[in-house]
Amino acid sequence: MIDVGALAIGLGLILALYSVVMSLGGAWWRRSDFIASAEHAALAVWGMALIASIALLQALVRHDFNIEYVASYTSTTLPLYYTVAAFWGGQQGSLLFWLLILASFSAVVLLQNREQNRDLMPYVNAVLMSTATFFFLLLTFVTPPFERLSFTPVEGRDLNPLLQNYWMTIHPPSLYVGFVGFAVPFAFAIAALATGKLGDVWIRTTRRWTLFAWFSLGLGNLFGALWAYEVLGWGGYWAWDPVENAAIMPWFTGTAFLHSVIIQEKKNMLKVWNMVLIMLTFSLTIFGTFLTRSGVISSVHSFTQSGLGPFFLAFLALEVVVSIALLVWRLPQLRSENELDSLLSRESAFLFNNLILVAIAFAVFWGTMFPVISEAVRGVKITVGPPFFNKVNAPLGLALLFLTGVGPVIAWRRASWANLQRNFAKPVIAGLIGGVALFGAGVRSYWALVSFSLVFFVLATIVVEFYRGTRARQAMVGENALQALSRLIGKNRRRYGGYVVHLGVVMAFAGITGTSVFRVERQVTVNEGQTFEVGSHTLRYNGLEERDTPHIAYMTANVSLLKDGRPVETLKPEKRFYKKPEQPTTEVAIRSTLGSDLYLVLGSYDEDTRMVTILAYVNPLISFLWMGGVVITLGTVLAMWPSRVAVRARAFASQAPSEEAVS
Amino acid sequence: MPGVGALRLESSGSLLTREGDPRSGRNRTRLSVQKAVAISVAALTMLTVAGSTAVAAAPPTFQELEESLTCQCGCGLTVASCNHLQCPSAIPLRQEIRTQMAQGLSKEAILAYFANKYGEKILSSPTTVGFNLTAWIMPFLALAAGGALVGVTLVRWRRARRQVPAEGAPPKPADQAGPSPYENILERELKNFDV
Repeated sequence: MIDVGALAIGLGLILALYSVVMSLGGAWWRRSDFIASAEHAALAVWGMALIASIALLQALVRHDFNIEYVASYTSTTLPLYYTVAAFWGGQQGSLLFWLLILASFSAVVLLQNREQNRDLMPYVNAVLMSTATFFFLLLTFVTPPFERLSFTPVEGRDLNPLLQNYWMTIHPPSLYVGFVGFAVPFAFAIAALATGKLGDVWIRTTRRWTLFAWFSLGLGNLFGALWAYEVLGWGGYWAWDPVENAAIMPWFTGTAFLHSVIIQEKKNMLKVWNMVLIMLTFSLTIFGTFLTRSGVISSVHSFTQSGLGPFFLAFLALEVVVSIALLVWRLPQLRSENELDSLLSRESAFLFNNLILVAIAFAVFWGTMFPVISEAVRGVKITVGPPFFNKVNAPLGLALLFLTGVGPVIAWRRASWANLQRNFAKPVIAGLIGGVALFGAGVRSYWALVSFSLVFFVLATIVVEFYRGTRARQAMVGENALQALSRLIGKNRRRYGGYVVHLGVVMAFAGITGTSVFRVERQVTVNEGQTFEVGSHTLRYNGLEERDTPHIAYMTANVSLLKDGRPVETLKPEKRFYKKPEQPTTEVAIRSTLGSDLYLVLGSYDEDTRMVTILAYVNPLISFLWMGGVVITLGTVLAMWPSRVAVRARAFASQAPSEEAVS
Repeated sequence: MPGVGALRLESSGSLLTREGDPRSGRNRTRLSVQKAVAISVAALTMLTVAGSTAVAAAPPTFQELEESLTCQCGCGLTVASCNHLQCPSAIPLRQEIRTQMAQGLSKEAILAYFANKYGEKILSSPTTVGFNLTAWIMPFLALAAGGALVGVTLVRWRRARRQVPAEGAPPKPADQAGPSPYENILERELKNFDV
C-alpha cells in the first residue's frame, strides 16, 4: 500500500498538471472535449489524493515504523485517536492533508457546476489544479511522505505530547478547511477576470463557500485558542505567536471580503476592491501555510524545519503576479459607476469596516514580520511579543466593535438625522447606562468601560432590530410574537444570521475584555493541608497523587475548593511525563462557571516534602468567548441554510436562465 | 473571535532612560512607552518621545516587569507566561527581576539593565527609539493612509452622485412619513414570496 500511495502522488502530479494545461487549452481553443478531459483529470486527482491519504493512514494505524513519517510521529502506545490525528501532526502528512481537502473541494466545485458557469469553469479548474500541482510537487520532490528508513525501528518517537489533546485533533482540520476553502472564491475571481464576466456571478456562486471557509477558519482559530488555554497552561489563550498570527490574518481580510461583497451585490460597487480582498485573503492562506511549515520565524508551531520556504515563496510570487496582472488588465472594465448619496450611510460604514479589518490584518502582519525586518535593517534581533499586538490592536478592535453596531442598522444611501435618532437613540442610551453602571460598580479601567459600553451598544442595536422586525410582522400579518419572530428570521436568513453572528462576536469581545482587564493571577507554594486564596476563592491543597501507565506517568495535586470551610469541589492540576519523547506537559484544572474560570496549574513539586507550587488564575467572563463561538456557529448555519425563496428562485432560474434570478 | 485581539486592555504610562545605546552613538536615549491610545496617533507618539523629559514613574510591579520581558527558553512567551518546570530562563530571570526591584530602581532602569545584559530581544515589545519606532507607527500610518483613501473615495463618489442626478425619482430620505421602511420591506417580501 505504501508503494501505491507513493505512486498515487506521482500520478496525481501528472494528472493535476494535465488538468491545468487542458483547461487552459480548452478555454483558449474553445474545445469542450479538452475541458471535459481536464475536469475528469481533476476528479482523478481527488482519487489520487484520497489513495495517498488512505495509504498513509494505514501505515500509521499499522505502526509501520519503516516509514520515516510513522516512526517520527507515532508510537505503539499512542492511542488510536491520536494515531489518526498524526496524519496532520507532522510536515509531510499535513501537506498531504491540505492537498486532500483541496482536491475534495475541487471535485465538489466541479460537480456543483456541471450545468452552470460553464464559461468560468475552465479557469476555476485551472486555478485549483495549479494549486494542487504545487502541493503535489512538494510531496514528490521536497517532503515525500512515504520515505522509508534504512532500518525498521521497534518503536516510534511518538506524537509531540502537546498535540495529544482533543482540541488538537479538530483544530488543524478546521483551520485547513478554512485556508483551502478560500481557494474556491479566489479561483472564481480569477475566472471572472480571465473571462471578463465581471458581474457578481462569481460572488453569488461562491457565497456559501466563502461563508463556509470564513467560518471554518474562525472556528479553527477558536479551537486553537481552546487548545492553548487547556494545554499550554499559562492562563491565557492567545499569545500572538507567528503561526497564530498567520492563521488569523486571512480571517480578518476574509471578514472584510464577506462584508464588502454585500456592497457589490446590492449596489454594484467596489468591484476592484473585492478582487483585491479575495486575492489578499488567498495569498495570506498560502503565506500562513508557508510561515507554519518553513520555520522562517521561530514559533511554538514550527515543529519541523525544512527547505520548503523558497518553494512557497516562489508559488506565492507567481500567484500574486498573475493576480495583479489580470486585475490591471481588466481594470478599465471593473471601474463601476460608484455613487454615494451621503457620507452618513451604510455604504460608508462598510468601507470603514473594511478599512479597520484590513488595518488589523496589516498590524498583525507588520508585527509578525518586524523581527525579520529589524534584523535585515539593523542587524539586531528583537522580539515583537503580546504587549505590542495587544496595544496596537486594542483601539482598532474597539473601533471595529463600534462599527459592528453601526453598519447593519444605519440606512443605505443616506442616513438623516431623524433616521439616526430612530435607529441609534436606544442603543446609545443602553451603552451609556451600561458604562455608568459599571463605573458605579467600581470599574475604573478606561478600556473596560469603553469596551463594555460598546458591547451594550451593539447588543441593543441587535435586540432592537429583532424587536422591530417582529413587531412589524405582528402588525402586518397578525401573527403572535413567536411566530412572527421565527417567520422573520426564516424569510431573511442571511440578514438575521448575520445579526446572530454579530451577537457571537459581541460575546467574544466581552470575554476577551473580561479576561484581559480583570484577570487575577497568583502563585503560591504550599504544604499538604494548607489553604490559600485567589480572588474570592479559598482553596486547600490536600496532597500529591501518582499514577503510572505505559504511555504516560502522572503527578496530580489534589486541591479542594472550600465554601464556608467545607470542600465543595476537587480540582486536580497535573504534570504528565510522556515516556517516548521523555517530555513533561502541564494538564491544567479548570472550574468553569458563567462568570469566571478558576484555573489551576501545578507549577512544581517536591516528591519528598510533598510541597507544591501552584499557579492560580481567575479568568472572568472567559466562557463568553467560547459561547460566542457557539453563537457564531448558529448564526453561520442560519445564514447558509438554503431558503425556500432561493430554492424557488433557482428553480425559476433553471427554466429561464438569467443572471439576476437568485437573490 | 480570539484573534480580534487578546486585548490586554490596560494602560501603562512610563518613560525609560537608559545608558549607552551602542547603535545611536548617543549616550542617553529616551524610551517612552505611552498609553495604547496615544500610540493610535503616531505623530503624537513622536512628539511625546521628543518632548518628554520627566514623567514620574510609579514603582513597577513584579508582574509588569515579567510581562515586559521575553523568556529565552524558546517558548516565545513572556517571562510571566512561561510555566516550564525548572525553566532554565524564566526562573533565573524572575530572580533577577526581584534583585533589581529590591534596589528600588524604576521600571525603565530595570528594563534597560536587562536589555544591556541580554540584548534587545529580551524586551517583549519593540522600543520606541530609532528604527523600532516604525514598528509602532506603521500600523497607524497605514490606517491613516487607508482612511484618507476611503475619505477621498467617498467624497469623489458623492460628487459623482451630485453631477449625475438619478434618472428616476430623487433619493428619498429613509424617514419620510408613512409606513416605516420595515413595513414596506415586509409588505413587499410578503407579496412576492409568501405562499
